[in-house]
This record gives sequence, C-alpha cells and structure tokens, in this order.
Amino acid sequence: MTKIMDIKKLLFVTKFEELGFDALQSLLSLRKVSLSHVVFVNVIERDRVAMHRGSGYLKEEEIRLRETANIRFIDWAEDLFELGMEVGVYIVVGSMVSEVIKAAQKEDADLIVIGRPHKGVLEHLYSGSDVTELLRRTATPVLVYKQLTETTISIEKPFEKPLLAIDWSPASLRAVEYLKVLKDIISEIHLIHVVSEKELKGNSAMEVQSLRKKTRKKLDDICDIFENGGIRADAHVYIGNAEQEIEKAAREHQASMIVLGSSGKTAWVERWLGSTPQSIAEDSIYPTLLIPFEKG
Amino acid sequence: MGKKVLVVDDDPDVRLFSVTVLEEHGYTPLEASNGEEGLKMIKEQKPDLIILDVLMPRQSGIRLYRDLKTDKSLKNVKVIILSGIAKKTFLRSQKALTEFGGKEVPEPEIYLEKPVEPDELAGAIKKYLG
Repeated sequence: MTKIMDIKKLLFVTKFEELGFDALQSLLSLRKVSLSHVVFVNVIERDRVAMHRGSGYLKEEEIRLRETANIRFIDWAEDLFELGMEVGVYIVVGSMVSEVIKAAQKEDADLIVIGRPHKGVLEHLYSGSDVTELLRRTATPVLVYKQLTETTISIEKPFEKPLLAIDWSPASLRAVEYLKVLKDIISEIHLIHVVSEKELKGNSAMEVQSLRKKTRKKLDDICDIFENGGIRADAHVYIGNAEQEIEKAAREHQASMIVLGSSGKTAWVERWLGSTPQSIAEDSIYPTLLIPFEKG
Repeated sequence: MGKKVLVVDDDPDVRLFSVTVLEEHGYTPLEASNGEEGLKMIKEQKPDLIILDVLMPRQSGIRLYRDLKTDKSLKNVKVIILSGIAKKTFLRSQKALTEFGGKEVPEPEIYLEKPVEPDELAGAIKKYLG
C-alpha cells in the first residue's frame, strides 16, 4: 500500500555556512500542513578530524566542531521548542551521505533539507555530488535549498508557488501526490512538460500541434487533481532543452520552487550522461524539491 | 542495591559523568540515549528518579516529561532536568503544547543547566532520594 505523503518530520542537514536558521524559518509554513518535528543533522566529515598524517586522530578538533554545532543547534532548538515543536539533533563524525541516510531512517523523516553542493566539475564527475548520491540511495524526498544571498529571487515562502516539471515517470507522478496535500500553503502551482526537439524532428506542423495538444491534455488531467483538492493549477508545454526550459518556466511564472521526480537511472549513467533533476538541483537558482521513485 | 536512577541523554560523555556521580553515591544507574528508549526503560525498570536531557534524537525530553506527567501510573516519578536548553524555553514549550490542546503539566522541581559540577548534581539527587 502506498504511504500517505505528509511532511510531519523534516531532517535539516547543515554545515552552517550553506544553510542557516533563516532557511529553516522559511520552511515553517509547513506547520500549517502537518510539520511538527525538526531534526538537525551536522556531519563532521571524517577527513576533518582523522586524516592528518603524523598527528593521528584529532580528538580535540572533533570536540571543538561538535560543541560549535551543538551551541548553534541549542539556540535554534530553543526557538522551535517555544513554538511547541518537537526537535531532535544528530552531530556525528562520518561520511555525509551515509550519516544523513542513517538519520533519515532512524527518524522516519518525511523530507530531507540540504544546502546546495559546492563541488567542481572534475570532483563532481569522479565522486558524484552529495545530492546525486543521496537521491540514488534514499526513498525520502530531498529539498535542495538555496540561500537567500545566492539567489536573486525571494524565497521567503518556498512552497507558495511551486513549478512541477512532469516527465510522466513514476517519480514525477509521485510528486503530484506529495504536493496535493499541501493545499494550505500552496497558492498556485504551474505544471510543465518539456518536449525535446528530437521528438519533433521530421514532424509536420499538424503533428507538432497534435503532440502539444495531447501533452497539454495529459497535464490538464493532473491540473484537475490539484484543482479538485483546492489548489489552483495551470499547465504549460515547453519545447527544447529540459534544464533550460524548466529554469525559464520557473522565471516566467515567478515560481518559488522547482519540483521534479528524480530518475531511476543508475549512478554511473547519471555521472556520465547527466540527469535533469540533479543538474537543476545543483545549478538552478530556485530551491529544488526532488521526489525519488519509491524503492522496494 | 541502591535506588535506581535512569539517565536519559544522547551524549555518552554526559551519561558517563552522571553514572559516575551516581555510583560514587551508592545509587544504581540505568542508561537510555533518547526519549523513546527512556520511556520503555521507565515502564520496565521503574526507576526511583530520572535525570533527563531535553534535546535528543527520536523523542525530546520535553515530550518524555509530558508523557510521564500525564500518565496516571508514571506521574509521580521524580525527574531532574539536566540540559543545555534554558528552563525558560522548557516552560514556554510546555505552555505551547498545553495551548495546542494538551494537558497542563507541573513544572519540574529541579532544573539544572549544563554543565554542572558533580556536587551540584549529587546534591540535587540527594534532595529527592536522600
């Protein structure tokens, strides 16, 4: 049986420099829906405390990093406790992705919030980013948050006007289920499907129009699901490169967030051929909510 | 065997500190690393006193304290809060939860803010258990 998708508990993963309390505050509108529990996660990468030749394990450095994180989390937790929310914390030494997945499983989290990764092209190609790795290994939706200072858009209410990019994959249809319960915080939603130029090649004008009409009809059917649930929804068909068109659509419709289903491609295919959800998560100026395909 | 005291804290160093203080004063320490585990042990072991942290994974001390104080069979278990979270926050949180429709719960009699000296903790325990 499919689990009802509801955001009661979110895991807020931070190294502090890329994701601060202002980001969390902008997500507190989720309390109107069902959010009641926030779990802070800070992972101290093992190589910061254990990989220094000649000095062995840097226990004092670990204590310093743990206590620095602890003091920040206590301060944040006090604000949330006073709102009547439940708060938890994990400060652990280990590998980022493994520790986040472990915490998400232990807590049975409904959403993982993580900052934008900062890796170079080569590093990305060879090691994969944390986001890519996280999506490959978790069945929990992931929101890749963008700091207010690094975007030109205002994201005080990220869930207010989401743009949902649909590619008809099971994951993107799962995203519909995820969003439709958020009617109390979504004012309107824009649905888009991007038709690639390859799909249009050799077609007559009539065939192109027919493809647009067919695609639009399918999107309208999904709009009906939202509208029946009390959320205003509009459908749009774009043509071209998926990443560029999704970004363009987000701008044109003044979206507050981009939502996509993440593909079921293997990690190697994603690393070498690229993946639209991961590229948007890492490159777009918009917060990006990635809904993985339900595993198992 | 001394009176049983359950230490609920996710920080192993704090648990070790409290357990050492308890053993030095002849009490029998028990340990749990989060609120959920703590509640299970309280029901099974029936400790005479609980030393409770607030900010923990799975279930916080705020919820565990509320669970205890609203349960007929557990509400008389004595609790010392030992936390980095300010007492003012603890009280405001309980007030907010009461306003959301929960039952009113009494204030904890002893609230210690971390860090504490061994004598301060031992004194608080003695106040309850003698």
